[in-house]
Amino acid sequence: MLDVENLEAGYGKVTVLKGISFTVPKGKVVSLIGSNGAGKTTTMRALSGLLSTQAGRVRFKGSDVTGKRSDQMANLGLAHSPEGRRVFTTMSVLDNLTLGAYTRLRRGEASRQIKADLERQFALFPRLAERKTQLAGTLSGGEQQMLAMARALMMNPDLILLDEPSMGLAPILVAEIFAIIRRLRDEGVTMLLVEQFASAALKVSDYGYVLEHGRITVEGSAERLSQNPAVVAAYLGGNHAH
Amino acid sequence: MRTQPWWGSLGLLLLLCGLPWLLPNDYYLHLAETILIYTVLLYGLDIVVGYTGQVSLGHAGLFGVGAYVAGVLSIKLGLGFWLAIPAALLITALFGGLLALPALRVVGPYLAMVTLAFGTILQILINEMDFLTDGPLGIKLAKPWLGHHPLTVSEYYATVVAIFALATVLMNRLVRSHWGRAFEALRDSPIATDCMGVSVYRYKVLAFVLSAGFAGVSGCLYAYSEQYISPNTYNFELTILFLLAIIMGGRKSRLGALLGSTIIVLLPKLLDDIQSFRLTAVILALMVLLGSALSVHRGLTTVRRVLVPVVGTAAIALVSFKLDAMTDWRLSIFGVMILLVVYYLQDGIVGFSLHWVAKLRRDHDHVGHAAFHSVDVGQAPITAHASRGPESLLEVADVVMAFGGLKALNAVSYTMSRGSVLGLIGPNGSGKSTMMNVLTGLYKPTAGHIAFKGLSITGKEPSAIARSGIARTFQNVQLFGEMTVLDNVLVGLHHRFNSGLVGICLRLPAFKRDEDALRTRGQQLLQMVGLHAHADELARNLPYGKQRLLEIARALALDPELLLLDEPAAGLTAADITELLALIEAIRAAGVSVVLIEHHMDVIQAACDHVIVFDFGEIIAAGVPAAVQANPKVIEAYLGA
Repeated sequence: MLDVENLEAGYGKVTVLKGISFTVPKGKVVSLIGSNGAGKTTTMRALSGLLSTQAGRVRFKGSDVTGKRSDQMANLGLAHSPEGRRVFTTMSVLDNLTLGAYTRLRRGEASRQIKADLERQFALFPRLAERKTQLAGTLSGGEQQMLAMARALMMNPDLILLDEPSMGLAPILVAEIFAIIRRLRDEGVTMLLVEQFASAALKVSDYGYVLEHGRITVEGSAERLSQNPAVVAAYLGGNHAH
Repeated sequence: MRTQPWWGSLGLLLLLCGLPWLLPNDYYLHLAETILIYTVLLYGLDIVVGYTGQVSLGHAGLFGVGAYVAGVLSIKLGLGFWLAIPAALLITALFGGLLALPALRVVGPYLAMVTLAFGTILQILINEMDFLTDGPLGIKLAKPWLGHHPLTVSEYYATVVAIFALATVLMNRLVRSHWGRAFEALRDSPIATDCMGVSVYRYKVLAFVLSAGFAGVSGCLYAYSEQYISPNTYNFELTILFLLAIIMGGRKSRLGALLGSTIIVLLPKLLDDIQSFRLTAVILALMVLLGSALSVHRGLTTVRRVLVPVVGTAAIALVSFKLDAMTDWRLSIFGVMILLVVYYLQDGIVGFSLHWVAKLRRDHDHVGHAAFHSVDVGQAPITAHASRGPESLLEVADVVMAFGGLKALNAVSYTMSRGSVLGLIGPNGSGKSTMMNVLTGLYKPTAGHIAFKGLSITGKEPSAIARSGIARTFQNVQLFGEMTVLDNVLVGLHHRFNSGLVGICLRLPAFKRDEDALRTRGQQLLQMVGLHAHADELARNLPYGKQRLLEIARALALDPELLLLDEPAAGLTAADITELLALIEAIRAAGVSVVLIEHHMDVIQAACDHVIVFDFGEIIAAGVPAAVQANPKVIEAYLGA
């Protein structure tokens, strides 16, 4: 699905990613783990075209997409649920979701199908159904996070980038968000996940990469990573989401 | 433009002094003089537009006030140039204070409209008050006298150069002081500025007053340069031209102001006759072509992206040889050139050039980024004053905060003792952040009382509350993004600078002492959170978690007795959280009390003495962390099974 080779990216004079390579196979969930400033969010932003890459190659669904803009990436089927949610605060929940399907509506997809997908999101996130007509800005943090995820799903994407979906959420909601991620995985949705709760993230992932100072230092199946003593000591210890 | 080599400035000054001998006649000297006079005004406009981030379409009006102070003093009172300069400065500064009033209420397009009206009213007033200004007839002025000797054209030019040089020095000193940092801070985040104890109200007014002072001096110089002033000079077009000059030259740069002023004065003249237009167009096209070729060669950009400017400037050059006369096309070509610059060089010419040179250099030495250090407490004191005073630090009594019908806080009461760490937890939207905004004065509570150190702070201004000893961080990071990491902390240290305008302008010893000592203090605070290696990086370039640590360092700079932390651990992994806990422990050990909003229960558990649980704006539980975590109500509303 996604192949990244020697990706370099950064801001201004600073190079954050110093050549990282990884893959996200179709139907799998892959986690990026790392401390603050390691470059997780930068990776997400570079992949979705919000940040221009400095070197390296990105292949998505078999074709080279290096240097594509974010709107082009969205059109190709890559959805980004960004850190800090970024919902359209002055629009209703329904409008936010409909905008998520913008690329599909523009391609002339039948609105019947879009409607069906809307219903699917409301089934997945019942809280959003209750608040259909409410302005997104008036939702609580957890509901906004659900909206951001549902909006990304409305694109019917081939790959979803989930950046810190549990950040700033009450513990009871963190558990709910992870339950939803697990459900999506069981439905076969391909995801790249960045999470502060590394242990919880690995539990829902197939594979994981550890980022340190802009380089990948350890990789392996989620099971092996969660048993790797060095990884446990640095990233998994003391963090109990469940 | 922080480290301009001094010899560059000296060379420019020598060149300016030599112009009377280099230029063929007085006409050109007059143009040079006009450029310098406009530049002085642009410095002032830059304070408002570049540093403070406000809009002003009223500066032509202020320029007019300066000119007319000179004119009126001369015809009504017979007072000459040397008195007119300080008078113009003071009187125009007063008008600047008036112009600041709308800026305190409105922003963006609204502020643009209000300042536009202000400028227009000034122009109309000058026109209508003919008992004072001789109205549309205008005022004639003789060149100033120095003792019994009337200044010649070059002597007046020399005077302008001297005042220009003085203005440049003053401007540099102003913006590189705690005042300049306050201006930039309120541009990037007015809320955080207030919460750092720096009154947004006060510094907005100051920015407009100082800005108007520059405009007044410039207007006065202009009156004596032209030797004739009339109201219709100071119109809307001139205002727009000034703004364009700042945008084209580059904000926050003395060189940018000079370049911008040169363009708005010289470009229309160059377009006056066909020969000079052809020359200009060819030079411009060659420069763009060479620059683009170099950039593409170095792989900094693609051919497609430079195609339009290269072809566009080449087309202008070609057209210049097709045209026989300039008169019909002058304005259109002027417009197209300005459009090209503004569209392609959004940081202005100076900003673009610096950026470009930096990019070329980066190619040579591929500087990676310095590794982040870990939190390192114990090197220096966390706070300047030891904690003393009444045992009860904070008393919140029956506080209600209503937004319309919704009660975000409903009769909340609690007390907090000095030296403790209090945790606030609860579901998203339960009122925790509202509580913090009420404590720091961002919201005025609908009812109830808050006392800090036994004194009421209910309804006080955020900056006053901050100065009384309450500092905070923000859930959505509120850093001053366009400022460096160290400058962010220095804004927090603002309260410890004692110098005023005179101290800043003369660089008095007291000012230097403060600046040196507090820079060192700032570095210590950065070291405490592990960011000292990044002191010169722009704050917005830091990763999210480091931005949160910088917010803590900035808040500590205020030497608070109470520190409010709003979700400091959001987005942090286990290792980062361990560091954060060490930092919080050190802060408490230094005698600073802490209120902590957090969703990470392990952080709450480790750091807090006492926890309060909110739900729907009410306190549903309170007690030591372990007891609260076992409380069934809390498990149901917040923790989950």
